Amino acid sequence: MVPGTRIRSMSTLHSRSRRRAAPGPLLALLLAALSLLPAFAADTPATRQILVKALQAEGDEQITLVKSLADSNSDLVRKVLVAWPRDEVFIIDPGDGSKIPVMLEDLQDADGKSNAIRIDTGGYLKDASGKPEAFFANDLTSVDTDMRLRKAIKDTLDLMTLNDPNPEARGSAIMKLGMSQNPAFLALLQARIPQETNTRVQKALKEAIDTIQLKAPNPATQIAAIQELGNLGSIGSRDVLKSIADDKQSTPEEIKATRKSLAQIDSYISRVNFFGTLFRGLSLGSILLVVALGLAITFGLMGVINMAHGELIAVGAYTCYVVENFFGPGLWLSPFGLRLHIPGINAGGWFYQTYFLFAIPAAFIMSALVGIILEVCVIRFLYRRPLDSLLATWGVSLILQQSFHLVFGAANVQVNSPVWLSGNFTVADVILGYNRLFVIAFAALIVLATWLLLTRTPLGLLIRAVMQNRNMAACMGVPTERVNMLTFAFGSGLAGLAGAFLSQIGNVGPSLGQTYIVDCFMTVVVGGVGNLFGTVYSALGIGAIDETLQQLFGSPVVGKITILVLIILFLQWRPSGLFATKGRGLES
Amino acid sequence: MSPRKEFILAAEDVCKTFDGFKAISNLNFYMDEGELRTVIGPNGAGKTTFLDLITGRTKPDTGSILFGAPGVDLIRKSEYEIYRLGIGRKFQTPTVYTDHTVFENLLLSLEGSRGVFNALSSRVTPAQRDRIHEILKTIGLSARVGAKAGSLAHGQKQWLEIGMLLAQNARLLLVDEPAAGMTDEETVKTGELLLSLAGRHSIIVIEHDMVFVRQIATRVTVLHQGTILCEGTVDEVQGNERVIEVYLGRKAKH
Amino acid sequence: MYKTFSKRELLAAFLLGLLAIVVVPSLNAYTPEASFFHISDFAINLWGKYLCYAVLAITVDLLWGYTGLLSLGQSLYFSLGGYMMGMYLMRMIGSLGQYHMPIPDFLVFLGWTSLPAFWKPFNSFPFALMMVILLPGALAFVFGFLAFRSRIRGVYFSILTQALTYAAWLLFFRNNILMGGNNGFTDFKFMLGHDLRTGPTQRGLYTASAIFLLLVYLGCKWLTGTKLGKVQRAIRDSENRVLFSGYAAANYKLFIFVLASVIAGLAGALYVPQVGIINPGQMATGKSLEAIVWVAVGGRGTLVGPIIGAIFVNALESWATRAYPDYWPIMLGGMLLLVVLFLPRGLVGLAEHALALFKRARRGPAAPGEVASDTSPAVNHAPAK
Repeated sequence: MVPGTRIRSMSTLHSRSRRRAAPGPLLALLLAALSLLPAFAADTPATRQILVKALQAEGDEQITLVKSLADSNSDLVRKVLVAWPRDEVFIIDPGDGSKIPVMLEDLQDADGKSNAIRIDTGGYLKDASGKPEAFFANDLTSVDTDMRLRKAIKDTLDLMTLNDPNPEARGSAIMKLGMSQNPAFLALLQARIPQETNTRVQKALKEAIDTIQLKAPNPATQIAAIQELGNLGSIGSRDVLKSIADDKQSTPEEIKATRKSLAQIDSYISRVNFFGTLFRGLSLGSILLVVALGLAITFGLMGVINMAHGELIAVGAYTCYVVENFFGPGLWLSPFGLRLHIPGINAGGWFYQTYFLFAIPAAFIMSALVGIILEVCVIRFLYRRPLDSLLATWGVSLILQQSFHLVFGAANVQVNSPVWLSGNFTVADVILGYNRLFVIAFAALIVLATWLLLTRTPLGLLIRAVMQNRNMAACMGVPTERVNMLTFAFGSGLAGLAGAFLSQIGNVGPSLGQTYIVDCFMTVVVGGVGNLFGTVYSALGIGAIDETLQQLFGSPVVGKITILVLIILFLQWRPSGLFATKGRGLES
Repeated sequence: MSPRKEFILAAEDVCKTFDGFKAISNLNFYMDEGELRTVIGPNGAGKTTFLDLITGRTKPDTGSILFGAPGVDLIRKSEYEIYRLGIGRKFQTPTVYTDHTVFENLLLSLEGSRGVFNALSSRVTPAQRDRIHEILKTIGLSARVGAKAGSLAHGQKQWLEIGMLLAQNARLLLVDEPAAGMTDEETVKTGELLLSLAGRHSIIVIEHDMVFVRQIATRVTVLHQGTILCEGTVDEVQGNERVIEVYLGRKAKH
Repeated sequence: MYKTFSKRELLAAFLLGLLAIVVVPSLNAYTPEASFFHISDFAINLWGKYLCYAVLAITVDLLWGYTGLLSLGQSLYFSLGGYMMGMYLMRMIGSLGQYHMPIPDFLVFLGWTSLPAFWKPFNSFPFALMMVILLPGALAFVFGFLAFRSRIRGVYFSILTQALTYAAWLLFFRNNILMGGNNGFTDFKFMLGHDLRTGPTQRGLYTASAIFLLLVYLGCKWLTGTKLGKVQRAIRDSENRVLFSGYAAANYKLFIFVLASVIAGLAGALYVPQVGIINPGQMATGKSLEAIVWVAVGGRGTLVGPIIGAIFVNALESWATRAYPDYWPIMLGGMLLLVVLFLPRGLVGLAEHALALFKRARRGPAAPGEVASDTSPAVNHAPAK
């Protein structure tokens, strides 16, 4: 998701900035946030000089020069060092015998040529008349590299990354340095510790230092390092420690210490896995809950079997897709052979990123509308005939699926996540993704809202009255037809919300509904038809068990099959589900 | 020491709670063989629940329900075991097989094997045919033998159901509001039918219609809030102060 | 009284049977291709498939129209029977497969060099036939036993059958159960010594399908006339009453459920050599739904209804997928919707209604006192509960 968002936004922003003025400072801020490049650092002329010399030098001298750039803290150096092994740094002889190192600009002119930027000055390479000269990349000779040089470049980059503002980048660079077990890096790493503010990176530093110390000449230092790695719970060094334990040449003290550390690390890993599974199970359960809650209302409370529930979810997902494209470049649809263009407003930057906040209510409304149409035209006639309503709504489901197919195409459509939903934060090595956190919060919110609606509002009271005794409520003057319609619309709207959310975490295609419909019904039935909180527990429970089984069996499909079989067996044992509402069990 | 009286039905200390609501509370009910007992009581008294407990549709929380002599505890039995012991129930709303003919309805209810494979190979014997016609005469539906049960009038459906209980040769008939929805004529006929069946069969009738109760009742039990309020003849019960209070909601004038 | 076979029905069955079993294959075998009366190999093959589908439809109706059990997973049993026959047919390919090895191609592709143990007995036709009956039957028995004992009814039963089918569909996609994965079995060559790719063999299979359909029809007609049939319909109309009449309804339901699954399995076994392929797609719930549409359109609660519905809807599908391929699912869904809402007794009901109107028109107004019930189709056989 993240790369997709970034590149797309970047390229569209890039192209737009060529056409008209971009919304100034906000754009710059966004660019800075989007690109993971560090803040522009010092590109002093001295640095440039060393860089140029390095490019022109050879052999050991070149290696030394490259390595000396490690503490330059220069964005340019970084750029060049990345481009160099890719053969994107060129030497141009302007005709006077001097060799000028350059890099080509991204921007290409009409012929496909690009201007060359001089590394020594940062300006364009100009021809005799003073105009920037454009070249084909293929015409130029790149500065070559050999294995040693590439390694040196890589090491230098890693060392430079020690100063990267992004903790993730720092952390992984530090890990790589540690894994190399090269004592040369020791001083550098130790020097970094007092400067490091991020606790996770601090831990990484300590791990790296200890990993290097594993090869220290002094056995006591080695043992101390082993023990500390155990105490730190260093997952990364597990393999190294294992190899020491297996090494026949290790001393008994080493082996003993290593075994102990490995045990510590393993128990830490299983704790992490446990919480990770729990979290993922919670988020999976939340997805299930969000998806099944609408059904819990229409099926659980109203007793209507709506086989088109899955398609109502898809309506929400596709609405999200349309809204996203509306905020973007617009959309071409081809319903029933006609071509329909939905123009886009081409929003940029932060406004574009808010599309999701508009998509959510839009999805609710669209699905609710479809639900209303369904209720008025079909369901209304079938309240007393549950098997028939199952079949009729299944017919509708087929129609809707094929309609999606015809209007949006058979292939999955891509819905991009807004930036603020991508990424994650980590607590003690347990990864908590933002989108998963969002769905958990989302599910909790929806359940709360539904509960409030049903218990605290007058409409909710009417709904519950109609649910319990439709005829009696009608006699009391409750407009049952309208209440039915609204309740069904509400349940359908919830399905739409689920769809909007699913569009963020998975594929959106015509058969999206079919993927979830069986799970929805299972969740509602297991929880106990007629009881919303039963659905909550059932969804979370099934989510947790599903995730655990996936871990156990290593395969999501086997896990799913097992869950289905378990549910079927569970229902034999407790046909009314977890929380049976009297008179609404399977045996009714 | 006097021998213990042989009851057809003896329910002792029966309690049943639904979701915190005490439907039946310390119920003690005794009925002789061949008796026609009428059970009345205001709504929610637990009359239908009482029948549910006897037929095994729900299980009581405590207590015992003994049937016949020596008493078989019905609590341990499943619904169709209870059925096979000879207890038949007629529901408030007629539940005949609407798509089958009157003849078939009775045929399906006839005593006899209920097994699957037997059902494949069995044919209607002359003895069975005779029995069915005999029952038809009793319930007065001989003229409608070939009609689909769904096309019968409401009262006729009720009689058909009673007929089905007879076909099953039930020793104890549980009849739930037989006069409901009937015309006056039908009600009288139903009363006569029930009276004619008493003696050979034991019958518990649940009813609200006091005129009907007068027609058929010898002994009346009044149920209130899940327990017996009083028992006696119709006059005794109708004159009882507690009963009046319970039914009318105010103390009887002294 | 309920007569199982009226003279008219027997005559009609005999004539149609004659047509399907004798006339049609003869027209395929003995007339020259250019003749108007010739029935092409393609048509024979198509009709063979239709007739297998008709049997499947009958099993759906046996459960739904007669017993009130809407099973959303009959295609599962159909497919399982098909898979068992498929395993036999795969063995019959021998070494003629792409890899020229004595084991099926897909196994070679997965890295096997010898036959897995459970594949070995499938080169025996009697064994395969036994499995065609046993596998669907056993699955139906276990599932039905558990479900019916727990008194699971109505829509919940339907949903559970859907879940079971879904689980099986997922399972059969996996390569490691060695059932062909998502490609399934195909490229059949021989069956009982006959080459499947020739006209005469396909004709034989068609004839077998027609005979099977006739036998199933007659058998079910007899079954629904027995006391068991009566109990079946009683269960459909009023299961509580049946229980109160002392019938262990669960046993009856289980019997019919297993019977329906076995018949479906046999139909699947006849279907697969004619269509030349079996894969997990056949198990998808969508396929079960199609069978239900056939029954709903044809007329549930009857035995000819499913046959008519299966042939009609499949013929429609053959046409629609050529003429308007994009719209066929919409047509199918729409058909289901309309039939459920407006035509609950299907085409058979429509025909009966028309016949009744015709009769009434011919006879004039009803005489006073005449009971209207035998001319009006007012009694709605609503099996839905």
